[in-house]
Amino acid sequence: MKYLKIEDGKGFFQKNTDQWIELDHIGKEDLLVLLDKAIADDFEMDEYNTELLGNKAHQIIYKQLFQKFNELQQNKSRFKDESEQLYKSAIEKYIVTKNSEN
Amino acid sequence: MKKIDLHIHTKASPYSDSVYDFSISKLQEYVEKLSIDCIAITNHNLFDLEQFNQISERLENTVLPGIEIDIEKGHLLLISENTELDDFKNKCNQVENLIQSKSDYISVQQLKDIFTDLSKYLLVPHYDKNPILRPEIIEQLKPFITSGEVSSAKKFQYCINDTNSLVPVLFSDLRFTQQMTDFSPRQTFIDIDDTSLRAIKTCLMDKNKVFMHHSDGHRFFQIFENGQKLSTGLNVILGERSSGKTYTLKKIARLYENVKHIKQFELLETDEEKDKKKFDDLLTTKQCGVSEQFLKEFKEVVEDVVKIDRKKNEKRIEIYINGLLKVAAEEEKKDVYSKCTLFNESKFIETKDETLKQLITATQLLIENIQYRTLIDNRIPHEILKELAVDLMKKYEEVQQKNLKERWINSLVANIQKELQSSTAFEHVEDIDFYTILLENEKLRKFEKIATQIKTEKIIEQREVRRFKIVASTRRFTGAQELKNKSGIQTAFSDAFLLYDSPIEFLEELKKKERIPGTEFFKYFVDVSYKILNEHGAEISGGERSEFNLLDRIQHAHHYDFLLIDEPESSFDNLFLKNEVNEQIRQISKTMPVIIVTHNNTVGASIKPDYILYTKKEIVDSIPIYKLYSGNPSDPKLKTIDGEEISNYDIMLNCLEAGDIAYIERKQSYEILKN
Repeated sequence: MKYLKIEDGKGFFQKNTDQWIELDHIGKEDLLVLLDKAIADDFEMDEYNTELLGNKAHQIIYKQLFQKFNELQQNKSRFKDESEQLYKSAIEKYIVTKNSEN
Repeated sequence: MKKIDLHIHTKASPYSDSVYDFSISKLQEYVEKLSIDCIAITNHNLFDLEQFNQISERLENTVLPGIEIDIEKGHLLLISENTELDDFKNKCNQVENLIQSKSDYISVQQLKDIFTDLSKYLLVPHYDKNPILRPEIIEQLKPFITSGEVSSAKKFQYCINDTNSLVPVLFSDLRFTQQMTDFSPRQTFIDIDDTSLRAIKTCLMDKNKVFMHHSDGHRFFQIFENGQKLSTGLNVILGERSSGKTYTLKKIARLYENVKHIKQFELLETDEEKDKKKFDDLLTTKQCGVSEQFLKEFKEVVEDVVKIDRKKNEKRIEIYINGLLKVAAEEEKKDVYSKCTLFNESKFIETKDETLKQLITATQLLIENIQYRTLIDNRIPHEILKELAVDLMKKYEEVQQKNLKERWINSLVANIQKELQSSTAFEHVEDIDFYTILLENEKLRKFEKIATQIKTEKIIEQREVRRFKIVASTRRFTGAQELKNKSGIQTAFSDAFLLYDSPIEFLEELKKKERIPGTEFFKYFVDVSYKILNEHGAEISGGERSEFNLLDRIQHAHHYDFLLIDEPESSFDNLFLKNEVNEQIRQISKTMPVIIVTHNNTVGASIKPDYILYTKKEIVDSIPIYKLYSGNPSDPKLKTIDGEEISNYDIMLNCLEAGDIAYIERKQSYEILKN
């Protein structure tokens, strides 16, 4: 699904299904939602294009978002992987023991 | 029974010894005088074959080739058969080449590579003697190591009694020079008939076959080179004035290391004020554990609070508020960049869930504890605990994942903000972490409360030591000089002391003193002082201070290998000696050799010694000759090494009771008084 698009010289992000908001209104909480979508869903974005994006402020925001979310696509599971390392062996130990008891 | 000394130095090593001139005649004198059956030449990291051959030819007893090796920062004696000496020399040369500085040592692997078959040698590590060979290294060299060198009779006896210790051996570790006057009587007796390396090795596998004395097993050890023995327990030296008692004690102190010698009159006060100050300082040093324990938590608080920069926080808030006011005033001037929500967006603050971490640790403890397993299982099924642990850990993962995501967004937002800000002249409101500032303010508030409370003067610990009581109390510092004394450095505290009652400002003032490390600041808020009270609760007098000192010194003699006490009766009264001192001395003599010189019957007889020595001066042809008789307290006669005898009863009465007649007269006087 597409979450970032360029239309009429402006950048938009999809807040709820089919609700497109201009990028100058995007805040950190919206970004958190987008990040979750990017990890879990099929996350699509319009290519960044200076010519199509006339609004200078939108250019700045769109360019950064596009770069960062693009990078993320290469390694979607990084947050999960990194946090799961924390108690990995302990969780495995207790779960395995429980299964074997059953 | 054979007497062996397998640790002898005859040549200075360039990196381990100071230079000395070896005297072969002195070595010969030593071996003959002390009737030693077998020695080993063990120089540091070298073996001089030529010199070894010279020694072997000169001496009649067995001389074994050996080397003392620096290995893994410890020392190891490696002793060989008296055969294949060229091969042994080659191997030792390899060790010598590897040790090229004071800090060099070889590894266990290198030792094995060089000497290949270690079973051919006798390996004796420094065991309870410095520099010790670490237990894990000894473990790696098993089964080739069965015995270990110790440095004193006390340690020898400890190893004999401790089932897990190696078989102990005592060796002299002497360097023989022409100037030597006394020889160390540190040798070991072993129960064998011949002095071959094979026989010695077999013997050193069995604790029942090693002794400190040729005929008295482990209860006695040889103290002087002439064969004079002492009990490993309590020895009393009696004798008239100027008969050589103190001389004997001094000789022991000179011959042995790690000796605690309480000298005559040493504990008696001479200058009351000076002695009291010295005593108080000593008490403070000795008891500093109490102060550390009391201030432990406060120290942590101070170390945490010291990091807070109160002024910087105030400044940040000021900048933030000014920024907000400015933005509000220029609202209509906002451009396309500054209108963006992200322009002034604040950062996500990381969740630090310590409680969750503690819960996980606690649950793991409940799962893994063995000691109280049944008790825990009775109330909470094991599988429920495991499920709880997994749930808590997963929750923790969730929190951490959220933190990681928020950190990712913070960095993204920061990049966008930077670019937006560089495109506009409009003022950006600097982000501020209110949470941390509030938390730090709260910390400061609590610190102020604790620092004020801690200055309330009170008793923090009382400890009974025999009839005395050590009392530790807190007290406020009363002036800048006291703070200066506390610091031990030349720096003025007058400005700081003016703020003593405002903990936060006081701490900020301390922070300005560069010479005081931050970890020491906690010491300047309250002082801990100590005093000793007698059984009546009164501060102790000068005499009582001496009594306390004596008991304290005897108690602390545990760290030493010998305890020597010279005429304790010179400083104390009989009741104190009988009730307090005797019991402690007997107690400590169970773990180490104790030697007391006395004239006093309370000490000499009532203490029930294990062994008695009697010194006597005789003038023969105008020349004084000092004789030393000894024996068990129940022996009718005391004997010198040469077999001269003297009546034990006469000695006891003469030395302790001023003779037979005086004893009977005194007894009669007491009877009259009693009736």
